[in-house]
Amino acid sequence: MRLLTLVMAGLASMVATVGAYAHHAFATEFDVNRQITLEGKVVKVELINPHSWIHIEVMQDGKPVTWMVEGGSPNALVRRGITKNSIPIGSELVIRGYGTRDGTNKAVGRDMKFADGRELFFGGTAAPGETTGAPQ
Amino acid sequence: MKQQAATAGVLVAIAMAIAPLCAQAQKNARTAWGDPDISGAYAEFTTAPLERDAKFGDKEFFTPAEHEEFAKVRLTQAFDADDTEPGTQEDVHYSMGQFALSENEGVTSLNLRTSIVTQPKNGRIPPLTAAAVARRDALAATRKGKEFDGPEMRSLTERCILWPSTVAPILPRGYNSNLQIFQSPGYVIIQGEMGDPRVVPTDGRKLPDNLLPQWNGTSVGRWDGQTFVIETAGFHPQTAWRGATEKMRVTERITRLDEDTLEYAFTVTDPDTWAEPWGGVYPLTALGALLYEYACTEGNYGMANILSGARKGERETANP
Amino acid sequence: MSRILAVSVALLAACAANAQGVLTALPRAANGRPDMSGVWQALNTAHWNLEPHVSAYPVVIELGAQFAVPPGKGVVEGGTIPYLPEARAQRDQHFENRLTDDPEGKCYMGGVPRSTYMPYPFQILQNERDVVMVYQFATAFRRIFVDGKEEAPLDSWMGWSNGRWDGDTFVVEVTGLNGLTWLDRAGNYASGSAKITERYQLLGPNHLQYEATIDDSTVFSRPWTIRMPLYRLVDADPRFLEFKCEPYAEEKIYGHLRKPGTAAPVGASSQ
Repeated sequence: MRLLTLVMAGLASMVATVGAYAHHAFATEFDVNRQITLEGKVVKVELINPHSWIHIEVMQDGKPVTWMVEGGSPNALVRRGITKNSIPIGSELVIRGYGTRDGTNKAVGRDMKFADGRELFFGGTAAPGETTGAPQ
Repeated sequence: MKQQAATAGVLVAIAMAIAPLCAQAQKNARTAWGDPDISGAYAEFTTAPLERDAKFGDKEFFTPAEHEEFAKVRLTQAFDADDTEPGTQEDVHYSMGQFALSENEGVTSLNLRTSIVTQPKNGRIPPLTAAAVARRDALAATRKGKEFDGPEMRSLTERCILWPSTVAPILPRGYNSNLQIFQSPGYVIIQGEMGDPRVVPTDGRKLPDNLLPQWNGTSVGRWDGQTFVIETAGFHPQTAWRGATEKMRVTERITRLDEDTLEYAFTVTDPDTWAEPWGGVYPLTALGALLYEYACTEGNYGMANILSGARKGERETANP
Repeated sequence: MSRILAVSVALLAACAANAQGVLTALPRAANGRPDMSGVWQALNTAHWNLEPHVSAYPVVIELGAQFAVPPGKGVVEGGTIPYLPEARAQRDQHFENRLTDDPEGKCYMGGVPRSTYMPYPFQILQNERDVVMVYQFATAFRRIFVDGKEEAPLDSWMGWSNGRWDGDTFVVEVTGLNGLTWLDRAGNYASGSAKITERYQLLGPNHLQYEATIDDSTVFSRPWTIRMPLYRLVDADPRFLEFKCEPYAEEKIYGHLRKPGTAAPVGASSQ
């Protein structure tokens, strides 16, 4: 018997298993002391595995600099209606996160939003927790 | 009027007679060549955790009322990551919620069990043997202080070689916790979303004794009535599923319960790791969506970042 | 007498029906379609270079004759690939840098069509709804939706495949490729805009003709086609062994980030 669980609005209703699968190496990859905020235009979107990467161009000291920011695996997002076009090139984003330990222009995105405040992914499409019923 | 009522009555009687046959037909759905049909994309998430909370002792099932309480907690548990403090190590992570990453993708089947593990009776995985503990400690000793020397020191998941949860027996995991099954005459393919496809022959052949080790082992299968039984052995020594050796043997039993649900049962045997065989059962629920490609090594920027971060740390220590 | 006539007529009909002149009936699936199920492999030098090529030195000279490039007549209809001028220059750059840049060396999935003719077997499994292909190299996997109409939501290494039967030929349209694979070890390539149309036609029980048309106007001046036979592995148990090549590519990809003074593990079982 199938029980379709109704997931409440907001993301608080998902089972947490981050602890079990947290990257032990995150402390080596990203620097907790290198907090960054990036505001810029999307130049490339890699919805890939094992992690997505969003490339944005920000202005630093009057010059354009490209950063790449890590997100999660996109597979569940795609089941909920996200496509490669969901974050259009040129979109303005605001990202809070932590830079890589190696000092380069890479970071993990803790909070990522469009500059106008909209959520990155569910600003109007499928709600989290419900699949879109795409063909099996 | 009477005529219509009589006709309606006959139609209702026929419908009632057919309905259980329809349900039966779905449960006994067959492929075009006559094998039971277990194909589809399935969510592994279930309300039963892998191991039973010790406080439940040997209690195998909740009552429906107890389950409702228990499931509510399982289904509404908030992400730890949502509540992290900026500037703390826990905060150094992308938002799982933003990427809809959860064991639970919104689909599951009613499961009154208190745990996935059913053997032994206490619903908990048997303790490791002394030999297994010694192996684990020896491996940790060889890696101590060298954890970031090179890619070979990192975990199989960071190296994009294997997600242990996608190896037989397949168990629910942190996210992309789904599997798909395809069938064609003579073969069943079973694949965890983040795992390799396992091509299993259905002709009931035996596993040879001299198997060449494979990360996923070698699988053979047979139909036992409505149940597909898979035997897997010949694991690579580095697969080390939950600390097991290459001698681990796994039996999986997959049975369609109804239109939306399969039963997935398994037993694991490795006397060098656990003093007794252990196993369990949980439902696989039709996902209603597709599984997508998980090309891991192709996009593994993370490994490069981890190693370059370690090298920078070493340079800073050498030249403060 | 009428029975002999009936059998003769049937034989003649079978002859006429099989355009390739192979006098063996095709194996058919439960739904009547030719059954392509089984393990197949190409036996040519397409994986070295799709175009006609003479033999050549190995990319690492110390490897000598073992890894020298054998000659090949090519599998491209019309001989050479119709690159746009800038694209041919890009191909030539790929060739110059093939030791470091060929995705195959990094254990990256071969994509389509390269996975078909890599020197490793692949298995086709077929039912009415899906045709699934499992490739030995990098444990790549592909699902072809029979009569599929959906578009790729996302780019991928193995692409998004919609297939349909055109008589006894299985035609597959592949889109959603990410443009990061190559077509062979010589640096031939297509971009992520490419649409690949494959045609699989069973010539007999053990021969599968494979055609792929590459349509990519950002790289080529016109669509072009490759064609080759694939051969069935006819061993009693044709299932291939697992070839997870990820560990063997690690030093190549990450060696420059290794801790100085440490060495890569070698041997059949690393560590």
